[in-house]
Amino acid sequence: MTDGGDHLIELVDLHKHYRVGTEIVRALRGVSLAIDVNEYVAIMGQSGSGKSTMMNILGCLDIPTKGNYLLRNQDVARLSQSKLARIRGRQIGFVFQSFELLSRTTALKNVQLPMLYAQMSNKKRRAVAALEKVGLMDRAHHRPNQLSGGQKQRVAIARALAQEPDIILADEPTGNLDSQTGDDIMRIFDSLHAEGQTIIVVTHEEHIAEHCHRVIRLRDGLVMSDERRGRRIPIAPLPGRAAIAEAVAPPMQNAIAV
Amino acid sequence: MRFHPINIVRRPFRWAVSAASRNAQNVATAAVQIWANKGRSVLTTLGIVIAVTSIITVISVVQGFGNYMTNMVRGYGTSFIVVHPWYEGERHGHGMREPTLDIHDITAVRGECPDVRRITPFVFTHNAVVSYGREKAEEIPIRGVAEEYQLIRNFPADAGRFFGPVDVDNAEPVAVLGRTLLTLLECDESIIGDYIYIDDTRFLVVGLLAEKGSFGDGDQDKTIMIPYTRSIRMYPDRTRSMSFLAEATDEDHIDAAYAQIQRTLRQRHGLTVEQPDDFYIERQDQSLQSFEEIRNISSGILGGIVSISLLVGGIGIMNMMLVSVTERTAEIGLRKSIGARRRDILLQFLTEAVVLCTFGGLIGVALGYGLSKLASMHPSMVPAEVPWWAVAAALGCSAGTGIVFGVIPAFKAAILNPIDALRHE
Repeated sequence: MTDGGDHLIELVDLHKHYRVGTEIVRALRGVSLAIDVNEYVAIMGQSGSGKSTMMNILGCLDIPTKGNYLLRNQDVARLSQSKLARIRGRQIGFVFQSFELLSRTTALKNVQLPMLYAQMSNKKRRAVAALEKVGLMDRAHHRPNQLSGGQKQRVAIARALAQEPDIILADEPTGNLDSQTGDDIMRIFDSLHAEGQTIIVVTHEEHIAEHCHRVIRLRDGLVMSDERRGRRIPIAPLPGRAAIAEAVAPPMQNAIAV
Repeated sequence: MRFHPINIVRRPFRWAVSAASRNAQNVATAAVQIWANKGRSVLTTLGIVIAVTSIITVISVVQGFGNYMTNMVRGYGTSFIVVHPWYEGERHGHGMREPTLDIHDITAVRGECPDVRRITPFVFTHNAVVSYGREKAEEIPIRGVAEEYQLIRNFPADAGRFFGPVDVDNAEPVAVLGRTLLTLLECDESIIGDYIYIDDTRFLVVGLLAEKGSFGDGDQDKTIMIPYTRSIRMYPDRTRSMSFLAEATDEDHIDAAYAQIQRTLRQRHGLTVEQPDDFYIERQDQSLQSFEEIRNISSGILGGIVSISLLVGGIGIMNMMLVSVTERTAEIGLRKSIGARRRDILLQFLTEAVVLCTFGGLIGVALGYGLSKLASMHPSMVPAEVPWWAVAAALGCSAGTGIVFGVIPAFKAAILNPIDALRHE
């Protein structure tokens, strides 16, 4: 996969080590993969698999200890804090599990916030367009406490969309929602993908991953599997089922351990 | 990247607009945050409020007192010079002749100094005994002057009349009394036209001086004015030792008048270049200047002492901001993850501290203003005045306090790791 071609994202032998007390935790131990424009990728793995670390590095919130992360052929690991902030503001749109909206600010102002830091023009027009895309224009002047969970997440998606980022990075976007609302949110991602948006979803839920066309599974800081699926096939054939079994098993072990 | 001339023009403009909009956004965010924690914000800023209130009150009272004093000195007259027949300071050495100053010197000054508008001899006696009927007053200062004295010193008669040039030329025994004398002699304005005795000489009272009030511990109304010609007759030894007052054409020509008087007198006294003046010239405007200096220094010192309370207020602000940063860690993480740079976060929290402090400062200015107005209402209090520079300084200092004490919390917020901040619940 790491053929040196023009990919949107290219990870080359990526390592990330943390120091926790006196112990060194090796969260990523040599990950190499590439993601192209308009891919719809799920990153899966149980807790401790390194998927959060991977998500932080992909989102330029963190830099790798070793290896390269090329975003549009630019090595992110060599960039200054303020350049990283600029990339986060312009090239990446975050969607978080707990929405992370500013509580005292209207939906519209929340959507405008990244553009304020990115010093973009036409903030209002873009914000309105983004809210229309997620079907929430009628709630533009509501505050987060006047919105339901699903509506909040749609505002968050609009916020991620507004500055037209290269990648939307969603971290457990349905984790705080009931399954019906979660499906609604995933359908928004589906349609954004259909319009050409590159989307990366970090999740541990199999039915969320089913929306994606590519599923990357991590385990112990390494890529365990990287499979592509056909378009809009709800359940993948056999290899996918095997994956489900594997994905389901570890939490049960955890349950016993706890 | 291609060269676009239009972009070069537009980019700085756009940058300015976006910087302005971000600053406005910061102020708006700060206002929302402060409003959301109304109670806490008010309590936190109380230190600043009290500090600014006391600064404004203290400075206004000191200034008001200063204005009162200045006006009093002004009422004394500031464009005149007093010349005394003695050596300045310690210069009176052995072998020097006794200094003299007589009417001929004064006439010469009057004739030869173009910048001297008015001049009057001044024969001062400290402690005369004055009696009126059975009443007796002791230690009364007697001023032997010419009629121009009342103009130079702004000392008119408001009942009866001042004596005129004819009275002076004829050395008439006429007197104009200060108002305090009425009390001392236990009489009223009907004394005009009556006779009093000053050191056993009989004088006709022709007028009463307008009230001037006290300056320092000297009662300016406890005096009697008589023609200097009569003074010399009563105290002949003063003939060759009289002082005089000379008024310059205006305040700007005091220096010129000073130089002219000095030259004229030195010439008349035949002094060589090495010899010091055998007279002493006293300038009223200098005492006014040094007085203003003292006033400004004392309000500076008092203001400075009170400013220490700003320090205490600032620590309160810092404490609140530190709590705020901790509480809003998740928000900071979010802002960073959507593109806020360290300096954006720094500026946001700094703005918040400055807005909070300036808000406290504004309340303080209003309270201080009210307090000084209230103080002015007390009958024995001089009218306090809030000078504009005190308001500017107080607001500037409170904003400065915001910056100084907001920097640490803001910096703490700015360097937060976005990952840790986002995970913080």
